[in-house]
Amino acid sequence: MVDENTNAGGQPLEEALIKAREAQRRVTDGRWVRLFDHFKREWQIYAMLLPTIIWFVVFLYKPMYGLQIAFKDYSIFRGVADSPWIGWEHFQTLFANDQFIRAVRNTITISFYNLLFGFPAPIILALMFNEVMHATYKRTAQTIVYLPHFISSVIIAGIVITAFSPTAGIINTFIGWLGFDPVYFLTQPQWFRPIFVGTGIWQEAGFGSIVFLAAIAGVNPSLYESAVVDGANRWQMMWKITIPSILPTILIMLIIRIGNVMEVSFELVILLYQPSTYETADVVNTWIYRQGLQSGQYDLAAAAGLFNAVVAFVLVMTANTLSRRFSRTSLW
Amino acid sequence: MSGVNLSGIVKAYGALQVVHGIDLTVAEKEFVVLVGPSGCGKSTTLRMIAGLEEITDGDLTIHDRRVNRVAPKDRDVAMVFQNYALYPHLNVADNMAFGLRIRKMPKAEIKTTIADVAEILGLTPYLDRRPADLSGGQRQRVAMGRAIVRHPKVFLFDEPLSNLDAKLRTQMRAEIKRLHNRLGVTSVYVTHDQVEAMTLADRIVVMNDGRIEQVGTPMELFNNPANTFVAGFLGSPPMNQMKGMLTETGAKIGDAEIKINGAVAGHAGRDVIVGIRPEHVTLSDEGQSSALPISLDLVEPLGSEALLHARHGEDTLVFKADTNGDIAHLSGVGAVHVPSHLVKLFDAETGRALNLGT
Repeated sequence: MVDENTNAGGQPLEEALIKAREAQRRVTDGRWVRLFDHFKREWQIYAMLLPTIIWFVVFLYKPMYGLQIAFKDYSIFRGVADSPWIGWEHFQTLFANDQFIRAVRNTITISFYNLLFGFPAPIILALMFNEVMHATYKRTAQTIVYLPHFISSVIIAGIVITAFSPTAGIINTFIGWLGFDPVYFLTQPQWFRPIFVGTGIWQEAGFGSIVFLAAIAGVNPSLYESAVVDGANRWQMMWKITIPSILPTILIMLIIRIGNVMEVSFELVILLYQPSTYETADVVNTWIYRQGLQSGQYDLAAAAGLFNAVVAFVLVMTANTLSRRFSRTSLW
Repeated sequence: MSGVNLSGIVKAYGALQVVHGIDLTVAEKEFVVLVGPSGCGKSTTLRMIAGLEEITDGDLTIHDRRVNRVAPKDRDVAMVFQNYALYPHLNVADNMAFGLRIRKMPKAEIKTTIADVAEILGLTPYLDRRPADLSGGQRQRVAMGRAIVRHPKVFLFDEPLSNLDAKLRTQMRAEIKRLHNRLGVTSVYVTHDQVEAMTLADRIVVMNDGRIEQVGTPMELFNNPANTFVAGFLGSPPMNQMKGMLTETGAKIGDAEIKINGAVAGHAGRDVIVGIRPEHVTLSDEGQSSALPISLDLVEPLGSEALLHARHGEDTLVFKADTNGDIAHLSGVGAVHVPSHLVKLFDAETGRALNLGT
């Protein structure tokens, strides 16, 4: 029988523990050596990673240095470092500014509509494509809906402006055929949001469906076969197998989308809005553009930008935590 | 009344025919195993029975009803898949209840059925768990539970144990057998593992290249293989097959001659394949046997017995020998003794078994 103070080899336990600790220490001492060996062995992979790291540093981390002007009375002649600190003054100015508050409200409203109508669109499209059996028809339809993604926002805006033109636009032509007067869609505030959200869906839903189509392709085919034997029809299979199976992908995409809630497509807004529609169209980014670049209030614009980033950060953290808690799916 | 009847069943994908008109009758409550190498058409045949593959030609009846064009859900079959096909987002209870809910069974009845089947399969403590939180064996049980709860007329198993480790496979094999004895449902089971086939089947169907090579009980197939393919497929290690020529009293294999029981005299000079099961030889002459000289390559100890890898002329052979707790005495083996009544003969050209009155 083995004594409880000795191990199976007859060694006293204490001695065995010391040896184990020494062995562990030796492993720890060798960590840097192993790390160096690892880099030496896998340097090609790190070389491929380098451009991305450089991009992050140059375009995302280095500009963070300039964020401090949100708390300074910034002067381009004094520079970032020498401009005097003024604390939260710019933020107080921002929240006292009706136009900024309106921009925040517009941003949230447009994002909400984008989320409500724009987020499910590619999922529905992917589910529909998944049900199409005719390969040629499927490929053709996919190509057609992917195309708008590859068209520049300027062209997209041009198409929208032309389509909604009160004189020659196709929409107003139809309205005219129905005996109604032409509607000045792009100058009336109440039409901006539907047109903007609809354009976004038209431009991105097809391309966005690729992610969900890939997720659907990853669903184990025997789940469907099993369901067929169990008596499920295609509708039941979609609801009970396909959608739950791609739910982790849907949640990840939703978290990413929520993180971009404050980033309403700046280019498209700039291209489609005009002073008469500012009431519903002016978003935080366009307000920052006008204040920062056009009026030269860089410090105030930086404060607005920082506010945008903080809200987005809080939203993405919350969404990620909720998703992890309730569905075991999260970005990190 | 037959459980399942396949008559001239053909499956073709365009010009490529993969199942060539097979005929098979599975009696009610019978456990039939389709066995064969990969690509032999066994899974395709099973999937045609399930309704997951269209039947190109022939007739399929389940309980005397022609079901060629009947939807899978209306065939009253349940299938257990190789990779379990459990819904990852549902817990064990919901997985088992899936088919019942689709069929709109009352909730109370579903609950009772699930509880009963979970009890039979030992799944009661795991009903709230998701498949990802179960071991391979538990998942396999859930897959079987999902089939059982529907009380189908026919169970179809598509290599259900191939994803399990060897130990678990042995356990689950026994559980499937016990379950079949208890439920008495007609079962068609596909595997490429001849041990599974031998241990589970009431009857084995050996398939090769889209055709049935032989149908029979495990021991019929083991003792009297219809051809060299079946002889080489069933048995572990498989039957040794050597080219030979019949003589007045037996068969000449290279320089050696072994005696064979039966009327071989009239066939002297005929080219044959001589089949000897590895476990049928002895190391000493025990009467009515002939010595077959061998050149020993390797001895593989398995515990109570050992595998002797040897050569005779150009033939590579494997034999089994008792170790009696030691393999030292096996290293000097220069010949094995072949009992004359256990030698099998096959036609050298067609590979079919020769019945010469042995």
